Amino acid sequence: MNLILILGFMLLAIGFWGMLTQKNMIKIVIGLTIAEVGVQIIMISIGYIKERTAPILDSAVPLADAVNKVVDPIPQALVLTAIVIGVAVNALILSFIIRLYKEKKSLSIDDYKEMKW
Amino acid sequence: MVNIIYIIILLLGIGFLLPITEKLGKKVSNSMFFLTLTSVSVISVQWLYAFIINGQTSLQFFTAGVKPPLSINLQLGLSESVFITSINILALIGAVYLIKHFNNIGIRSHVLYLLMILGLNGLVLTRDIFNIFVFLEITGISTYALIGSDLRLKSLIASFKYMLAGGVASIFLLLGIIFLYHNTGTLNIDGMIAASPLQSGLKIAGIAIFFLFFALLIEMKQFPANGWALDVYEASNPGISGIISAAGTAAILFALYKVMPLGNDLWFNTIAVIGIITFIASNIMGIKQKNATRLLGYSSIGQLGLLLAAMGLGFLYGGINGKFQFIIFALFISHFIAKAGLFWIAGIVKKKEIKSWGVLRKSPVLLFFTGSFMFALLGFPPFPGFFGKWELVLTLANKHQFLWITAILLGSLIEAIYLIRWFGYILKEKQEENETIEQGATKYSSVFILGTILFTISGLYMIYNPITNLSFYFYPLLFIAFLFITDNILPAYIKNILSIAGLSYYGYVYFNQFSEFRFIFAVIFLAGGILTLIPGFVKKGKRVGFYPSAIIMYVGLLGLLVAKDMFSFFTAWEFMTIGSYFLIIRGKRSQPHALSYMLFSLGGAYLIMFGFALTHVFSGGNGIALDLLNSIKSNSALIFTMLAIGFLTKTAAAGLHIWLPGAHAEAESDVSPMVSAVLLKAGVFGLILIMISSLRFDAKMIIYLLGWLGAITALLGNLMASFQEDAKKLLAYSSIAQLGYILFALAIMSHIGWMAAIWYAMNHFLYKALLFLAVGAVVVKLKTHNMYEMGGLIKQMPFSFVSVLIGIIALSGVPPLSGFGGKWLLYNAFILKGWYLQGAIIAFSGVVAFLYLFKLINSIFLGPVKDNFRKVKEVSIWYLIPQYIIIIAIMVISAKPKIVLGKIGDFITSYMPDNLVVWKGDVASSYMNGKLFGVWDAPNIMIIIGIIFVTLLSWLLIMSRKAQKVEMFNIVYSAERPESPQTTHFSHNIYSHYRKALGFLALPLIVNFWSFIVDSIHSIADFVRRLYNGNGQAYIMHILGFMVIIYFVLFNGGLF
Repeated sequence: MNLILILGFMLLAIGFWGMLTQKNMIKIVIGLTIAEVGVQIIMISIGYIKERTAPILDSAVPLADAVNKVVDPIPQALVLTAIVIGVAVNALILSFIIRLYKEKKSLSIDDYKEMKW
Repeated sequence: MVNIIYIIILLLGIGFLLPITEKLGKKVSNSMFFLTLTSVSVISVQWLYAFIINGQTSLQFFTAGVKPPLSINLQLGLSESVFITSINILALIGAVYLIKHFNNIGIRSHVLYLLMILGLNGLVLTRDIFNIFVFLEITGISTYALIGSDLRLKSLIASFKYMLAGGVASIFLLLGIIFLYHNTGTLNIDGMIAASPLQSGLKIAGIAIFFLFFALLIEMKQFPANGWALDVYEASNPGISGIISAAGTAAILFALYKVMPLGNDLWFNTIAVIGIITFIASNIMGIKQKNATRLLGYSSIGQLGLLLAAMGLGFLYGGINGKFQFIIFALFISHFIAKAGLFWIAGIVKKKEIKSWGVLRKSPVLLFFTGSFMFALLGFPPFPGFFGKWELVLTLANKHQFLWITAILLGSLIEAIYLIRWFGYILKEKQEENETIEQGATKYSSVFILGTILFTISGLYMIYNPITNLSFYFYPLLFIAFLFITDNILPAYIKNILSIAGLSYYGYVYFNQFSEFRFIFAVIFLAGGILTLIPGFVKKGKRVGFYPSAIIMYVGLLGLLVAKDMFSFFTAWEFMTIGSYFLIIRGKRSQPHALSYMLFSLGGAYLIMFGFALTHVFSGGNGIALDLLNSIKSNSALIFTMLAIGFLTKTAAAGLHIWLPGAHAEAESDVSPMVSAVLLKAGVFGLILIMISSLRFDAKMIIYLLGWLGAITALLGNLMASFQEDAKKLLAYSSIAQLGYILFALAIMSHIGWMAAIWYAMNHFLYKALLFLAVGAVVVKLKTHNMYEMGGLIKQMPFSFVSVLIGIIALSGVPPLSGFGGKWLLYNAFILKGWYLQGAIIAFSGVVAFLYLFKLINSIFLGPVKDNFRKVKEVSIWYLIPQYIIIIAIMVISAKPKIVLGKIGDFITSYMPDNLVVWKGDVASSYMNGKLFGVWDAPNIMIIIGIIFVTLLSWLLIMSRKAQKVEMFNIVYSAERPESPQTTHFSHNIYSHYRKALGFLALPLIVNFWSFIVDSIHSIADFVRRLYNGNGQAYIMHILGFMVIIYFVLFNGGLF
């Protein structure tokens, strides 16, 4: 579990690194996505309980015994929501980038600094 | 009652339905859109009503039919209902404002708008922490899309930066949520608070709350991680910016409020500090900003910082209830309405540069509301923010948080710099004739409704505020409202009659209510008001804006006398300041002078407010009665100094005077006497109040210094007056000097000294009103202020000549007129006190006064007539009537000074029994060590001087029968090559030799000092704002850097 948690934080750091160092807006968004994935992994790993299975009620997990057999289902539900929202935001950002590119023919974030101070 | 869940169902359901029903046509979808927003508003208003009127208690609504933690619950209490009502009503009005914009874009913008409002409602209502995340994202996505939906490059860029910041914020929010869940085992906020994670001591709880709060601080756009927010405010459609600035931040503020109890004192303090830094930094940067919507962005962020600071402090001092609830709501609602309104007006004006906003003058209604919104933001009465700021300062003073008060008042003052300057541009800046602003009923009506709501709420505050009873203002404010409404309808003379009638009525009502020195000031304020209103009959047309302002000022002045407690006094003080500001700025070139007047006044007012708060605290913390000034137990010298400086900004003591010459000289001719003869006395009234209180404690040193300040002010004022070529500026500097005499006389702190002060106050009112009216009328007639362009007008304007002559005799202090009495009293006072050095300065400045007084009458009325003024006639009768009433008054009190001084003497005796003036009839005598020291026999002096005058005059007339008149061409210059025409005029720069000798005293040292301060603030502003370099990536860097800073502050660099 700890390994997964560390992996999550590493992804988070890589994501932020990408956001801060890449000039290409699409790459910045990819950085954001990587960071989001990192958070999602952290969330999953926090709800994980050793030697238990996914919180899906099927033949492998009888209803009566589910409490003792599955990991904490709430973080998993949260992650699902977070993924959905993340996808929506990322799609929106990318579509904006397309629009910006059409206007200025540039993907570099340095070219979009008209508004300042 | 409708289940609150229907708000969510309605917004979501109709939101998804709209794209389908779009096929039925625009009308159907628009009606559905508005019907939804209306129903949502109605539901929330209904609940608000239940909470306020029926005393409904807080309710929980459960989803999924089970209780938390298995389900999500919505909570609806008073605070929630206040917030959702505000948000939903604003959303409805905003929809009206934006509907054209939305229709241009298409149905998707309607949907996005509904979703955004849904998100905002959810943020306020939900008690589930993950739900906060969800609603935050719903709000976020719909806002990003809404901003970008007009597809302009700027809005796309802004929205892109917003999304990056929002994305980073939600990462931290999720981290915070999951760790908190891990720590407490619940997602329910109440459950989490009950588990008190921070107290449980787990390291992980600390980091969880850190992430949670940090994410919300980013969403609250705190400095310095807020560059993206400024772009959003600048680039979005102003209609949407208004909603984001008002409703958006309201919801996030409320979300933060809900989770705040998870923090501890360290957190509350940190949040408050972040808030106040944002408040000050944002306002400082605003000073350099010229782009209207971006400036509003700076102001928005600043206000958010203030709200955040108030909230942090509230939690620090026992939670948001009682006082802090009142404070935060008052500050919140002012910002909420005013900022939305200003953004919306920006959308109508459509001018980027704040200097081009002069076009607003084309629409008086919008102009009025712009002013109202700005003054509401600045916390002036009668707007709610005024009450909030007072309570905040008082509450903090009670906790001895003086640094906090200083920071808050400093930030507010800086905010005033750019808002007032901007409003000055709106009122005065030149505009192109063909410029227009957008017309359109929807936008106008939205602003109008918003403004009406603001005034309704303000009215409720004026009537029901828990601080004090302000019923005195009820009828005056109704009258002012009437004047505003009819301003564009009624002609000036009717409004003039009404105003004079109003002042007379109050004079009649309050005639017997005032005692002692309040009576004298009542005479100055009310009689002065009526006398200075009379020239208004000259004006043709409607004179829009004049009467409401004048009445606001006079109501404020009267309010000062009526006030029994410090809050009422402060309210009156602020009303007076607003009114006089609007009067002063009416002058043609008054804009910069009105700005500096306002800033000095506001600075002074904040010092007074601070001083009052300290008075409350150090007199035992019981109540706010004005009499508490007399029972201050500790720190009295400090409080005295603060209040004194506050009042001295109004009396324009040396160092604080730089606003006065311009403000008084450039004002309209009948406004100059109002602000000079009448308004300055408000400061004197304040000084008298605190000096009476100073008898109860030892303030000798400060008062001694005030004496010196008075003497120096007198000398500088008179010197500067002598070097003026502008007749009204000369009188303005003379006012500074006269107020210096008054300060000096008050500081003597003896019976006879105070008598001199009150006599001077009364007399300065009379002769300065006389001189300003006379000279002002001449200036109006000749259309120039420059004395060297006048001359020889004695024949054309004999009545004005006599006025000025009487005025300068009275002012100069030669017998027999009233000024002599002033000098007699003053000289007696300082000799008896033993202040010889200061007295010498006073005496010397009295000599200097002769220079400018001679110059005044000589340059205007004597000498040869200018060719272009040969056909000038006497000034209007409406200017002469008040002048001759004043002349009669001067004559009467010159001969019978006891009318004024008799009763005043008795009152002063009760405070200061030493150095008595003894009256026998109208003859006054002073005594030193029991021996007769001086005698002032006013009636006989009058008679003797009268006889001498008549004798000399007749002798002169007989002797000079053969004298030849000097004509224009009699003056010959020998071998002189003048560089400019005016230097050849006989009275131009006549005191140049004195200037050579004493000019060093008149060097603009003080002006330079203040310009240095202004320049420094500007450079700091320009330096700090370079942080916002426009790069979205840099803004992410700021966010992360901000996190590191907070982390180090909170955890001292330890590992959680």
